[in-house]
This record gives sequence, structure tokens and C-alpha cells, in this order.
Amino acid sequence: MKTIKSLYIVDDDKIYHFLFKNLLKQNDINVETTFFCNGYDAIEFIRKNKDDVEMPDLILLDVNMPIMNGWQFLEEYEKMVKDFDKKPIIYMISSSNSEVDISKSKDFDGLVKDYYLKPICREDLEKMFVLEEV
Amino acid sequence: MKFFDLPDIHDGESLNAFYKKLLDQVPDLIFKMVWKADNLYSVVFASESVNDIYELSVETFLSDTDIFFRERIYPEDAEGFIAAMEYAKDTLSRWNHEYRVQLPVKGLRWMRITAKPEQQRDGTICFYGRVSDVTEQKDREREIKISEERYKYALQAASEGIWDWDMKSNTVYFSAQSMKIIGKEEKEAVVPLSFWRARMHPDDIKGHEQARKTYFKGEIPSFENIYRVLNDSGKYRWVLSRGKAVGYDDTGNPVRAIGTHKDITDMKEKELQLANTINIIGSQNNRLSNFAHIVSHNLRSHAGNLKMLIDIFKGAKEEEKQEMLNQLEAISDGLYVTIIHLKELVDIQFEVKIMKEKLNLRHYLKNILNILHNEITKHGVNVEINIPLDVTVNYNPAYLESVLLNFTTNAIKYSSPERKPMLSFDFEVIKGVKVLSVSDNGLGLDLKKHKNSLFGMYKTFHKNQNSRGIGLFITKNQVEAMGGKIEVYSEVNKGTTFKIFFNEDD
Repeated sequence: MKTIKSLYIVDDDKIYHFLFKNLLKQNDINVETTFFCNGYDAIEFIRKNKDDVEMPDLILLDVNMPIMNGWQFLEEYEKMVKDFDKKPIIYMISSSNSEVDISKSKDFDGLVKDYYLKPICREDLEKMFVLEEV
Repeated sequence: MKFFDLPDIHDGESLNAFYKKLLDQVPDLIFKMVWKADNLYSVVFASESVNDIYELSVETFLSDTDIFFRERIYPEDAEGFIAAMEYAKDTLSRWNHEYRVQLPVKGLRWMRITAKPEQQRDGTICFYGRVSDVTEQKDREREIKISEERYKYALQAASEGIWDWDMKSNTVYFSAQSMKIIGKEEKEAVVPLSFWRARMHPDDIKGHEQARKTYFKGEIPSFENIYRVLNDSGKYRWVLSRGKAVGYDDTGNPVRAIGTHKDITDMKEKELQLANTINIIGSQNNRLSNFAHIVSHNLRSHAGNLKMLIDIFKGAKEEEKQEMLNQLEAISDGLYVTIIHLKELVDIQFEVKIMKEKLNLRHYLKNILNILHNEITKHGVNVEINIPLDVTVNYNPAYLESVLLNFTTNAIKYSSPERKPMLSFDFEVIKGVKVLSVSDNGLGLDLKKHKNSLFGMYKTFHKNQNSRGIGLFITKNQVEAMGGKIEVYSEVNKGTTFKIFFNEDD
């Protein structure tokens, strides 16, 4: 078993940042977490630091965000990812239960592992953070 | 050499016998009738054909002429027959008359009598004439008449007119129904082709030509085209014209074409109405799906946060709980704002009749600029107004204020820090619709990326603290609720122009 050690959260909702942090704490998940308020901030951070900072184990990506939403992030990210040694697992996390969004996440097959609907609960965390050895 | 001065053409037989033989060959009844001053008519000669014509022997007819009135002539026609005969005798004019007879074998037949009265020196009048059976001719006439009537009334009922184009003289016959379409008296006419052509809508002439060419090339079995034609009251009527070439010259070029006209204005107007309705429904649908999106995303995200908060609140330590209550307040505030926005939106969507007034555009804009005076001074914005003093729009006052306020604040908000902000308001009339353009030289946006979501709710495209992404959505809804539309032109780092189309129709 391998555990997740580092995590990016890309979501424009500051309250969600706070709640997620506390949810991790209560479940004794010790992980290095970096928060971004939209896709643009996240992609710029990755672009600038790709040579110095190792990619995280996991990215939790919101769909609806200002400036650059989750899909636009994925399009940009897709262009860069082939140069990365380490390829993070990406989960889409959204309040939107629209069929369009859910099926769209399947278009990014290979990049996006799954689609989770908010609110995130303990069971979701267990699925996301426990990995089977490949 | 010698000629007989009177050749013996009947070889010694009597002249009477000779003429009788000739007359008996004629199917018509040949007769001579004499009228004497004591007002007595008598038939003095009848050819053998009387056997066929009246089914009477010559002897009977001559000796008992009255039998014709008793047993042959159709009773209703007797009076007219006698009147015509008396008239010819009195005026010594040719006796022409048609009447019916009821024959024992052949039944009802139509007859035509024609005779020439000649007055003798002693005052007696001789009629030389003949009677022909015109039943078959009459039947044909009646059939043609029925057929013509059937045709005429069917076309009238179908409100279809007929055109018949003589390509050699370039004249066209238009039936009464066709003339009625353009508001003329319901009377057929033959006119030059240009008479009709001049009334066609300029936008439709090209299509009409095209349809004609396609037909004459043989690509379609018959000509068909829909176009507009101007009537005498200055209104355009929609016409469906169909036709075929029916005559060709020796080289195979068409010389005559015939077809129909149908006034389909009512149908066409309904079609346009329907298309309009579909447009409205389409945009309603868009707004509805946007609405569903807000409900799905925004309400759900608040509700999701609330659920997560309560979950972790249960397991939280005492010292953490105060911070969580602060967050609860933030969730509650966010939920409240979302609900206000939804209410605003619902108000626009479901207001049945929104009050409109005639508003002076320049006056309203000045008011908005006064409200924003501080913002404008702070950013050093150069404002230019090109709106004539007397321009008015038929609008809801609150909407007009909201729309102007939104576009103005947006332009200021997204000004470029690299140059002095310019903001210009220009009024123009495009195809009869009043349009206000709001142009800035600000940040601009990439329309290829954002065009579809520009007016969506909670969409923001700039890293700006003040962006709420609600303004344009509400503005668009208000403009559309007034029956207008918004167009946007933008280039990154050059600026943005929003065109507001006012609808003046109602």
C-alpha cells in the first residue's frame, strides 16, 4: 500500500478549502496540501515550478471556477503532462451533477480518474487516499 | 362549235323531282311557310327530313301543322318560339331561334330554326328556312360550360390565379384571381411582363430568376417559386407561383408557359410567427438551463458546504468550534446572496407585463454617470457621449438604469492599467432599430474562448476582486425581456464594444 503524501486542491470556494482541511485533519490524513483559487493560478504555478517542485500525488479539481475552469485547466495541463516524470491522479470534484459534465470528464480518460459530487464525505476520502500498489 | 344555252341537267326528269331529290339529301328540314293578311300561317313545303327532325311525315306536317305545337314543341318553349316568329314577320328580319322539342323516339332534342321572311306584292310574307338538330352541339356547349365553371370555381375556392405567359410578345394573361392578389379589380387582364415584375420584392427577384433558369434547364419537372408582390395598398403579399412551359418553337425554345398563383400570405405569416416563437422558446430554454445550472451549482455548493461543516463540527474540538461557526455565517451569507440573485432573475423572467415608458436616453445616461462620478474621477476615465439630445427609447426605467449602470461599471472595472481609460457611448439606427454602443479601450476578452459563456451566470474572465459574474447575465436578461438583444465585439488588450439593440416594435 502506498499513501498519498502531497495534494493540490483547485477550487474557488474558500469555505470549501477550510472544510476540506478540517476533514483531512479529523480523519488523521497527513498530507501536504496546496490550495489554488482557480485553474489559472494552478496551471501558472505548475508551469513556473515544473523544474523545481515535484508534482503532487493527487489533484482535486473543481469544474466551475472563474478565469479558468476545470476543463480549461485540463486542456492546458494535457499539453504539459507528457514532460512530467510523475503523473498525479486527478479527481474532478463538483456540485454539478449535470450529465454533460460527468460524461465530459470521461473524455479526459487517462487524465481524470473519477468524478465526485460535493459534499465530500469520509468514505470518499478513503477511496481517494488509499491506493492499491500498481 | 356550239353550246347549249340551257343544259338539260336533269336529263328530262321534272325540275321538281330533281330539286326534291337534292333537298332530301340535306339532313336539315327545309321549309317554306306563308303568312297571309288574315293572320294565317301555313307550311306549304317541307323536305323529307321532317321525318327525322320532328318524327312526322311530310303529309301530316303540311296538313296538320298545329300538331307541332300540340305534340312536339317543349311546352315551355312554345311562347318564345311564336314571339320570335311574329317579330321576324313584323320587322322582316331573319328569324333565328333555338327551342326544344319532345320527340316520341329520340326524346328531348334541341333545334335551331333560321328563316328569311320575304314580303310579296300582295302583302303575304313567305318564310324560306330550315330547322337543324343542334342537340349535340348544345350538349358540347354545356359540357364546356360546366368544365369551365368547375375550373373557375375550384380556382376561386383555392384562391388560385392563373398566368399565361406569351414569351414572343412578352405579355402575360392574368386571371381575375391573380389581379385580386395585387389589389386590383377582380378582372382578368393581359399586360406586359414588366407590369408584374415591377411589383416583385427586390430581394426575391434573384431567387425567382434562379428558379426559372433551373426549370428551363430541365433540372426540375415544373417551375415553383415563392416571392413577395406589392399590392395597391403598398403591402407585400406572399405568392406561390407554379408553372410549366406548354409551347415550343421549332428550335425547342419555350414560347408559352402557363401556371398558377396562390396567395399564401396568411400561411407565410404564421410560418414566420412560428419561427419567431421557436426562437423565443430557444432563448427561454437557454435561460432555463442557465437557471438550472445556478440552482444545481450554486445552491448545491452551499448545501454541500453546510453538510460538510456539520459533519466535521460533530468531531471538532471545542477551540475549533468558534471558527466553524464563523464559516457557517459565511455559508449563510453566500446562500442569502444566491437566493437574492435567483429572485432577481425570476422577476425578470416571469414578469408578464413590464411597464415601458418613453425615456430620454441621454438624460438617463447622464444620471448614471453622475452616480458613478467618483469612480470615473478616481480612474481618470475620458467619457465621450454621441447621443442626439432628443433620442428616446421605449423602455422600463429600472431596466434602462440597470443596463447602463452595468455596462459603464464593467468598462471602468476592466480598464487597462497601461493606458488612460476611454469610454464612449454612440447612438445609431441600424435597419430601423435604435442601437447604443458602449466602447472602451480596456482589457478586452478572447471571444473565441468565452463567447458562449460571456453572458452566463457567475462567469468571470478577469482576475478582479470585484468580479461577481452576475452583471452581464442580469443585463442580458433585462435587454431580452424588453425584446432587444446584445452584441459584443472585443479584442484582448484593445478593448470591448457592447451594442445594445432596443426594440421599438410595441
